[in-house]
Parts: sequence; structure tokens; C-alpha cells
Amino acid sequence: MIGLRFPKLKCERIVILTGADAVKISALSVVISFMLFGAFVAFEGTDPLVAYEHIFSFAFDPKLGLPITLHRGFFLVFNTLAFIIPMAAGIWNIGMEGQFYLGTIGAFAVAYSFPDLNQAILIPLMLISGAIFGAAYGALAGFLKGKMNVNEVVVTIMLNNIAFWLVYLLTVGGPWAGIAESTSKPLPKNACAPMVWNTPFTSIFVIVVAILVYFFLKKTTIGYQIRTLGSNPIVAKHVGISAPKISVIVMAIGGAIAGLSGYHMWAGDPAFLMIPRPEAYKAIGDLTYWGIILGLICLLNPLTSVPASIFIGSIIVGTTVLVRRLRMPFGLDVLFLGIISLVFAAFQFFHQYRIRRVKVVIGK
Amino acid sequence: MSTTEADILFKDVKKGEIILEMRGITKIYPGGVVANDHIDFDLRAGEIHALLGENGAGKTTLMNILYGLLRPDEGEIYIRGRKVEFKSPLDAIRMGIGMVHQHRKLIPAHTVLENIVLGHPKVGKILNLHEIEREVKELCEKYGFKLDLHAKVWQLSAGEKQMVEIVKALYRGARILILDEPTSELTPVETEKFLESIKVMAEKGLGIVPFVTHKLPIVLSVADRITILRRGKVVARMSREEATMVNLAKRMVGREVLFRTVRVKTKIGEPILEVRDLHALNDRGVPAVRGISFVIREGEIFGIAGVTGNGQQELAEVLIGLRKPIKGKIIFRGRDITNASILERWKLGMGYIPPEREFGAIKDFTLVENIAMNYYFDEKFVKSKFLLDYDKLRELAMKAISEFNIMAPGVDTKAGHLSGGNLQKLILARVMMRRPKLLIANLPTHGLDVGATEFVRNKLMEYKKEGAAVLLISEDLDEVLSLSDRVAPIYEGRFVSILPIEMVKKEEIGAMMAGAISEGVAE
Repeated sequence: MIGLRFPKLKCERIVILTGADAVKISALSVVISFMLFGAFVAFEGTDPLVAYEHIFSFAFDPKLGLPITLHRGFFLVFNTLAFIIPMAAGIWNIGMEGQFYLGTIGAFAVAYSFPDLNQAILIPLMLISGAIFGAAYGALAGFLKGKMNVNEVVVTIMLNNIAFWLVYLLTVGGPWAGIAESTSKPLPKNACAPMVWNTPFTSIFVIVVAILVYFFLKKTTIGYQIRTLGSNPIVAKHVGISAPKISVIVMAIGGAIAGLSGYHMWAGDPAFLMIPRPEAYKAIGDLTYWGIILGLICLLNPLTSVPASIFIGSIIVGTTVLVRRLRMPFGLDVLFLGIISLVFAAFQFFHQYRIRRVKVVIGK
Repeated sequence: MSTTEADILFKDVKKGEIILEMRGITKIYPGGVVANDHIDFDLRAGEIHALLGENGAGKTTLMNILYGLLRPDEGEIYIRGRKVEFKSPLDAIRMGIGMVHQHRKLIPAHTVLENIVLGHPKVGKILNLHEIEREVKELCEKYGFKLDLHAKVWQLSAGEKQMVEIVKALYRGARILILDEPTSELTPVETEKFLESIKVMAEKGLGIVPFVTHKLPIVLSVADRITILRRGKVVARMSREEATMVNLAKRMVGREVLFRTVRVKTKIGEPILEVRDLHALNDRGVPAVRGISFVIREGEIFGIAGVTGNGQQELAEVLIGLRKPIKGKIIFRGRDITNASILERWKLGMGYIPPEREFGAIKDFTLVENIAMNYYFDEKFVKSKFLLDYDKLRELAMKAISEFNIMAPGVDTKAGHLSGGNLQKLILARVMMRRPKLLIANLPTHGLDVGATEFVRNKLMEYKKEGAAVLLISEDLDEVLSLSDRVAPIYEGRFVSILPIEMVKKEEIGAMMAGAISEGVAE
């Protein structure tokens, strides 16, 4: 018999994934998603390179898209951090949307109640109130998970829906209803976020929060308990780490950070300065789900979540030119984001496995 | 049964004839680890040829090559003089080789018979269990197995499950049976039964290769021949008559091993732990601990001897706080801790070595982070109130490595890179360096090889010398007897008796563990 040689692919489980490998995998995912979306663009009759040039030149042009890119990008950082902290303890926070709405309610309640307060007092009060509202909403799910082992994914998703309607009740014909149809009253002047380098101060604030979260998880005793619980709940129990306590803590912190994004979003973009119509605030609420994908791509590293979020922010903002400038069909922007999240999700596979070529000889 | 390739290959085998030869088997793993270095091995029909070696000696690699799971880099395999090459276990099975793994690979919700026929080539699209049942029954009768073919697998004991795996291999036509750590999950009674049945199987002409890392006496009692591997090489081949415990262990480990840890008498001090009429339920809500009372004092090792499932796990869990008692009192150093949390108990000076390494270490964490598990709540290792003092923890980890002889490239290595034995030492170091007043050692040498076992036992003894109290839970009666000052055989959630070691007779304890003697001498 003649020996037949052919290469065969073999899957190997990776025991420990290095940071460098994770970066490589992410870079590869970006390249693949760009190629896939490029194919769609070409199919629609536009040169992909031209499309990409337009997307990024708009998104990063300081006079055009850059302020919004940064604003939306940093909004995602808030929500990514809100996902990362509970995830480090093994808890899936799918409730950033609801916590963001509650944070909005908390912040706006203060602003509408004390419209004449000095800016230096009013804004911190709004932030604190938003954080507390978000924290309480998150802690509710954390408590149910820790104490009664109720699945946190189900609870947080249901709470998201409740939160959506709470905002609706307050704005559409409710106590906060504005003159324009279905939106809230405008925010008092004192409540609007001061700008630093053409972006609201909360953008810088969230970078500081990201660094704090990094050190919190890495260096503090609570952070250590969170990571231990997330890595192995059984081991954690044996060494006396209380899962109910940690569940409440992580969901409260996560909820607080997501709650802060309420102020950042509405008070930080000069285009809003109020709560917009339901479909508009729901569209922003939907963006919070990027926190899940970003958190997983970044392997729960709070620091890398900043550039990753800005990147996604630039695509959210940049793809709008496809319709405006290139007369391409509506929905391509959503398609691009969809492709990116699917490719990144698919490439999570390489966080677990490595594919290797092995030579197999058949017959001799 | 229809004629198979194996039937033809093994036609007219006479007992004592060499049926399998492995010549010059070499296997080098990527990264340059030489797992097998020119190993020769042979097997006769009707013999039990034990393969002995420590963790990582290359036994598993060699047997995986024989079973077609791995391909050797060099060397040849001959079955009855015919050269064979296995591309997958399917080829090996076709040539009459069967393997029973240490961890059972059965489907719990299916019946014994369904598990036996699963994957059998004879089973076509439609399942005709009647004919198969008749054949399996014949097979069981031939080898003297007693199995209820219609019982669900989850209802079976560990020993019965193993028997199912063996029958499964035989039904697929195995003439050579490889058994991976066959007695590691069996109780003493089951072990006895198992040894009987493999003797019968050998008697009927099968070749049997059990491979073993510990429990040397078992090997000695049944094996006709023994091959010992160390670091991928054959270091000794001997017949049972030549083998003794001491020379087997010496060859395996490469140095002298003391089997009897020298028990030292220490001054017995104050009572550390007092348990009064303790009752607890198991996970299924059935009473597992049913009225246990005892006292442990400073400077003594209190051994609990029992067959798995008699309440000793639940007792340990209640003591460290993992399980709530339904009745009774636990007093630790004069304080009632019956309702204290796990963390409070650690802080008060209890230490717990969990029965499974998976309960004690996180593979993704570095050694420093793993060490921190018992210190994150300790003021000495916390600075500015909220921060873990990683510098001090690093120092501690380095001390642990040197004191406990842990083989690791450094303290920042992830625990996943350590071998099982070293991981166990790491857990032990972490707990013992807290200097707990009471150490609950739950199966501390489970799955360790001879060298590491000796080390752990000596550490426990050393620790007792320093005046600590140790509660030792073990399934290995010899271990309990060689270390403990007092022994309590446990049966169905009760201590049958509590005996000072001087009054213990091994046979009597064994009978008590099996429930044969209901009440011995009172404390």
C-alpha cells in the first residue's frame, strides 16, 4: 500500500490564555469582520475602501463626528464596566439597560426638584443619586441571586422592561412631560455637564473609574474575593467567601456605574439635555448591551475596555455616513455592528481552543 | 457470538503463551517530555501483569498507546506475533484490547444492558435486546459476575459500575484487559470482590494489565508479574515471589520509603474541639450523621475510619460550616460555634483540607493568589484596610514552596501548571502555615503517589508534635492506624466505638467499619 499523507486539523484545549494571544485574537476578529462587511458593501455596489475611508474620516473628524464618537464610546465604557465587575464574580449582568434608565430617573429627579442649586452642588448630587438608583436596582437582582439562587439573567432582563416603562410613565404625559410631544422637560441649565476638550467631563471621569475598577479587582481584599468566587464558587465557599454578600456587592457596584451613564448620556450631549422620545431613549438603552460583548472581548480587563469601547463608538457614529453621503441602504450600520458582534462571539472559541495541523499517515 | 477479527487472532490460545509484545516503545510529547523511553512489555494469556509507577512515570502513556489513543514515535506492537498498528481505539478494540478507565464512562440514566450494548457494532438500527441479553448473561456466568442487567446505572455502587465496564469490554471481545487504577474508587469490601473476579478472569485465559500508582498491597496480592516504570523507563521487572512492599516502593520512587510514619507520643493538652450529639442530613435529605459525640485535645490525631458514604464527609462539612447540623452542639476552644459561619471558623483557628483538589485550588490563579485564599481575611496580610499585601503573600508563597518541597518554577506560575501532587502540597501548605489549632484533614493523601503520601503523613505528625489537634478522615485503614492516637470507626453515621490506638486490632476495626460489630469498647 502506498502511504497517503494529508494534513489534518486538530483542536487542542488551551489551559491558560495569555494577554498577547487575546490581543491577537481580537485583532484577527476585527480584520475578518471588516472583510465580511466589505463584501456586503461591494455587493451593494460601493468600493469597500471608499466606504471605510468615509466611516472613519467622519467618526474621527474633530469638527464632525469625533465629539459624538467619544461621547458614545465613553457611554459604552460605563456599561462595559457595569458588566465586568459582576462577571468577575461569575454573575451575568444583563441589566445595564434597566440600571441606566434608573440612573437617568435618579439624576433627573434631583435636577427637576432643585433646578436652582449651584452647579457645583447640583451635578455631584445628580451623579450620586443616579448611582444610588442604579445600585439599588442592580442589588435587587444580586440579592435574589445570592440569597435565593434566582437566575440573574432572567431577573435583570425583566427589570430592564420594568425600567423602560418607569421612564415612559414619567415622561410621556407624566409629571416630567415637556412641551414637545413625548419628551421630558429640558434639563435646567445648571444640570448640564461642563465640557472639557469638547467632551463632557464625565468622559474623563469614566477613565478614572476604569482605572479604579482595575485596581479594585486586582488589589483589594473584596476584589480578590470577587475573583475567587468567579473562578470557582466551590473553592470560594470552602475558604469562607460568602456568595450572597459578594453577589449583592458586585451587582450594586455594577448598577451604580451603569446608573452614572444616565447622567453622561443625557446631560453630556448638547443634542439631548432631556429624555427624548421613547424610541430614541430605547435605542440608546439598546447600546448598553455592547457592554456584554466588550467585556468578554476584553477578557474582563477594565483598562482595555476603554479603547475597545471608543472603537465601537466610532463605528456606531461613522456608519451613519453610509446613508447620508454614499446613498447606501438604511440598516447597513446595524449590519456592520451585527457582523462585528457575531465575529467576536465566534472567535471566543479561540480563547478556549487552539487549532493545530497534524500530519496523519494512512497505510504504509 | 459471531466470529470477529479478535476471535481469529486469538484462536486456540494456550494459557501462558505470550499474546502481546510491545517493543521499544518511545513517545516524546511536544515540548520534549520523554514519556516513554524504549519500553518493552509483554503479556501472557491468563496472567495478571501489573504496571507500577508514580504519577507521571509513563504508565498512562504506554497504555494509551496500546489502546490506540496515542501513536508511538518509535517501537512496535505485536499481538500473537503479528505486527499491529492502531490508528484509533476502534482498531485496538477490534484486535481484542479493552480498557476500563479510572473515571467511569457510563450513562447513569440507562440500564446496565443498554450501557453494555452502547456502541457495539452488532447493534444495528433496531435494538434487539433479547439476543444480546442472552449473550451478556452467558458472559456473566462464565466469569462469575452477578449483575442485574435491568438496573439503572445510577443505582449501582462504584464496584458494580466497574463490573459493568468490564463486562462491556468483554462483550466487545476483549482478550486483553487494561485497568486504570482499578481499585481507587472501591471500598475495601468491593476491592476484595473485584480482586476475586479478576483472578477468575485470568484463570479463563484473559491477559490483564492493571496499572497502579498507590495501594501497593493490592498489586502484591494478585499480580503474577510486575513491571515498574520510573521517568518513562522500565526500572524493574519481577515476579510476585520476588516482590515485597519495600522493594516495590523503593524502585518506584527511586529511594527508600518509610511506610510506617513514626508515631510520636506528645503530651495531650486541653480539649480543642467538643462535639455533642451531632445530627445532620446529606444532600438528599437523608440523615447521614446520626448522633456523634467526641472530644479532640491538643497534641493528638483523631482518626475516623470508614467506608465512603457512612457520614464522614457530612461530619467534616458540618465541622467546618459547609453544612448545617439539625441537632447537636459544636464547641471549639470553649466557644459554641454551632451556628458560626465558615469564615468565623477559619478566623477562630480551624483549618480544613478538602477531599478533592478541585475544592481547594484555582488553576487560573498564580501560586501567590492560591496561597492568599486563607489569608485574605487576616489582618497581617491586609494593608490600608482594603488592600491585600501581595509582597507579604509572595514571601509566604516562597516559604511554602521551600518548606513543603513544592516543585514549581516560581510563585507567579499559575497553579494549573503544577502536577496533582504538588497542588495538594500547595493546599496543605496554605492551610498548615496558618498554624490552625484544629486541622481537619479530609482524605489528605487521596490520589497522591507514594513519595508525596509519605511527605504529607510526616507533616501531619510534625504538626501534632507542635501541639495542634488533627482530625484525620481517611478511607485507607492503614493510614488511619499508622497516624492516629485514637481511632473511631464510623458506620451509618455513628461512631461504632472510640478506641485508643494501643487497644486497636486491625481486623476488629475492619469489622466495625463494615457494620459487623455494633458496639465495641466505650471511650
